[in-house]
Amino acid sequence: MLVRLLNTLLMIVVALSITGVINRTRALLAGRKGIRFFQHVYNVRLLLRKGAVYSPTTTVLFRIAPCVYLGAAIIAFLFIPIADLEPVLSFHGDIILVAYLLALSRIAIVLAALDTGSSFEGMGAAREALYGALVEPALMMGLATFALFCGYSSFADIFSTAQEMNTNLTIVMLLLAYVFLIIMIIESGRVPVDDPRTHLELTMIHEVMCLDYSGIDLAMINIAGWLKNAIWAVIAANAVSVVMCFHWEFATPLAIFGTGITIGAIESLRARNKLSRNITYILTIVAMSALVLLTGFLLYQNIDI
Amino acid sequence: MYFYTLLAALLAVVLIFVAPLRAKVWVAASLIGASAIGALYLVVATLLGGEITLARFSTDFFGAEHITVDALSALFLAIIAIASVATVVYSRGYVEGYFKRFSAAHISLHYTSLVMLVVSMMLVVMSSGGFSFLFSWELMTIASFILILFEADRQDVRRAALNYLVMMHIGFMFLVAGFVLLYNVTGSANFAAVECYFKVAKPLPLFIIFFIGFGMKSGLFPMHIWLPEAHPAAPSHVSAIMSGVMIKTGIYGILRLLQAIDHDTELLYSIGLIVLLSGIITGLWGVILAAMQNDIKRLLAYSSIENIGVILIGLGIAAVGHAAGSNLIGMCGMCGALLHVVNHSLFKTMLFFSAGNIYSRMHTTAMNQMGGLAKHMPVTAILMLFATLAICALPPLNGFVSELLIYIGMFNGVSDGHEVLYSIGGIIALSLIGGIVVLAFSKLYGVVFLGSPRSTHVAESTEVDSQRIVAMALPAVFILIIGLLPQYAIRPIALVAEAVTGNSSVVAIGSFIPTLTTLSYVGVMLILVVALLYVIKRRAQLKRKIESGPTWGCGFTAPNIRMQYTGESFSEGLENIGRPLMKDMVDGRSVDKSEIFPSQHNYDVRHKDKVDSLLGQWWVQLMHRINKFVMRLRTGRVNNYITFALAFLAVVLLLSVIGIL
Repeated sequence: MLVRLLNTLLMIVVALSITGVINRTRALLAGRKGIRFFQHVYNVRLLLRKGAVYSPTTTVLFRIAPCVYLGAAIIAFLFIPIADLEPVLSFHGDIILVAYLLALSRIAIVLAALDTGSSFEGMGAAREALYGALVEPALMMGLATFALFCGYSSFADIFSTAQEMNTNLTIVMLLLAYVFLIIMIIESGRVPVDDPRTHLELTMIHEVMCLDYSGIDLAMINIAGWLKNAIWAVIAANAVSVVMCFHWEFATPLAIFGTGITIGAIESLRARNKLSRNITYILTIVAMSALVLLTGFLLYQNIDI
Repeated sequence: MYFYTLLAALLAVVLIFVAPLRAKVWVAASLIGASAIGALYLVVATLLGGEITLARFSTDFFGAEHITVDALSALFLAIIAIASVATVVYSRGYVEGYFKRFSAAHISLHYTSLVMLVVSMMLVVMSSGGFSFLFSWELMTIASFILILFEADRQDVRRAALNYLVMMHIGFMFLVAGFVLLYNVTGSANFAAVECYFKVAKPLPLFIIFFIGFGMKSGLFPMHIWLPEAHPAAPSHVSAIMSGVMIKTGIYGILRLLQAIDHDTELLYSIGLIVLLSGIITGLWGVILAAMQNDIKRLLAYSSIENIGVILIGLGIAAVGHAAGSNLIGMCGMCGALLHVVNHSLFKTMLFFSAGNIYSRMHTTAMNQMGGLAKHMPVTAILMLFATLAICALPPLNGFVSELLIYIGMFNGVSDGHEVLYSIGGIIALSLIGGIVVLAFSKLYGVVFLGSPRSTHVAESTEVDSQRIVAMALPAVFILIIGLLPQYAIRPIALVAEAVTGNSSVVAIGSFIPTLTTLSYVGVMLILVVALLYVIKRRAQLKRKIESGPTWGCGFTAPNIRMQYTGESFSEGLENIGRPLMKDMVDGRSVDKSEIFPSQHNYDVRHKDKVDSLLGQWWVQLMHRINKFVMRLRTGRVNNYITFALAFLAVVLLLSVIGIL
């Protein structure tokens, strides 16, 4: 019980700090002092205290959607262990449930965007739906690679099994960590796929879908975003922890700083893709994921023989 | 049997034809209700007590046959019973709109065919094979042909119906060939003899002949092209029962064949491979084209093709798993596939009913004419959202349970090291299908029900009668039960899976139950968390200032409805990827880039299936060529015709002299 509580607390810490680390990294690389570390939390607290404006075009679906978006993310969040800790929920096959819960939250926000009748939000919804569809195989293949090497199909079992250190496994797991990092970039709408700081609605993806949300709804969407970031970051960090035999005390900072600094650095050093290049970018990751899985399969066969 | 069937048919015809116009539906409903109750009784009796044989008889063609209900028939009887009751309840409101347009006889014919379709489907899944199977199969085809032809005054309807009839008979020929082959080798044309055939003769040719025959009915790639034509043409409740149940009779046939493979590992392996590959291709093809469609019913039709693909992926994994000696993988795949058969019959009927509600108000199924319907048809909108989430396989609804089982089977394959490559192929295909389905259905729902109206008809539409709503709610109840209590729903399914595979399901059930029990808790938890968040939000907002303001137009002051995102623009990104699968039919002209002040344009694009033209064109050209040759013989002179007759007689004489005739 205590272990589960610790796991959940650490996950919340990860969720709250990643955005801070990204912002700080970006500021340092640009030579600025930067905003407060928890500024994003203060912003959300401010939003939680505000009223709301709803468009008359929208239906009740628009008001429920943020709750579904956050609710599905919360449930998915409860399945993720940090290294060998025990998550709150776990069952045989939960990796599939997590993927589909994230799909549920995606369809909720896509439908809400279409509910406003705005052409900009329609644009964002179409892009999000397409990117989500294309990234799904990459995610599943990444999870399948875990299943192949660890012999289980639940997050808790995968990451709690002690693995023998060997070069093959290390290579595969590091590549997997990379794949999940990119999946995180795609799903959370970061550079080079999307730029959260852009002010041009035409080129936004994630941001443009929430244009009509204000107050508590917007806060919920932001919180769900943090939770999702934590899910991806922790999976990526766990992949590394499996080979390094890290326990939670190393895995947690790794999840926060590893992903935070990487994404912050990418955001400072890279320009965003041209929108039409995004599909190629995502398909490259799908191909990469397939390659990791197949390489993993071949290496795995070798290990057995 | 035929005598009684025909007598029953005649009785149904007489009863429906003599009934007054408004009472016809009730006569049909009581006939269908009676057969559904009978079927459900048989289902329960079979699942509790084992096989029940209703009749034994002998036919002139294929020898002894019988009408038997076993576990596999019971599963299909159950879905036929539920879907047919929902369909006939729904049909009243839908058909009433046509009372002025069609004669009473026309309406009677429609209801008679509906009754015949239900009865023939039940007979199909109960007959042991051979003549009685083919007889009911053909009856099913003809009844559904008449049902599609309901709006026979529309040319596209006649075209689609004829297309359907021709395709179905090509499939029928394959089935006849299959049964004749079976009878020749084993002396019996029952499905039970297939097992014997597989032992004494080369099994694969027979399997492929049957597979094509059954695949034609279930919309297997590349024989799926009748589906997207027939469904937009048929009335919505007919599409519902055809797509929800009738195409599953093809799956039923394939299951009968799988049942016959008795622990022959090599055969199981190759058949599993064929089924898996065709499932992957069918599923991906169906889902990509579904996302491209701009017509509600065409989209739903392609989604049926995709679901058949998912079912076949499950069956393929089951067969490959059994061949590899893993009972667990086999059971996961089989239970997932069987449960998906049930699930698809539930949400697809609901979706087609919603399409029918929309059609009866908007008089079109073109998505780009709609928008904002949720405000005018709120109940339909809620039920459709429910079905949409279910078909997207999202937790906590039933679609997720069946896909989860198939996934677990494949992930087990990967983690245990059994048939890793096939499992990986299945995982990639199923995840891609899952992703694109979300795109396709968020497009369908978003464009039709949400946003601003794209035509003036939307404002005039009103909610449909309560009877149609009840018909839609019936499948919804089952969707919720399977989705939230999967640990109980899996038990009867496992019984059927046991009967098909011939293996014990104890181990598999033992591994499912904890998974599904947790899943059921998680489902309830998800609903509670969402409800809690909503309540908290509403309470917090009570004290705040809640304003109403126009949708943010990004500073543009004169946005209009024509700027709203359409279905076509929603799937534009996928279009670039899916282009090789389609052929565009363009009416009108798009706005040229050099036009600074665009004039008025008419532009209509439809994404047609490439297989359609590939299969259609050479066929039509061949017919043209043959006709041209035959036309040369039609000279219009009597003396020529007499010459032909003489020549024919001479040929007959010659042949009989030689001894051929």
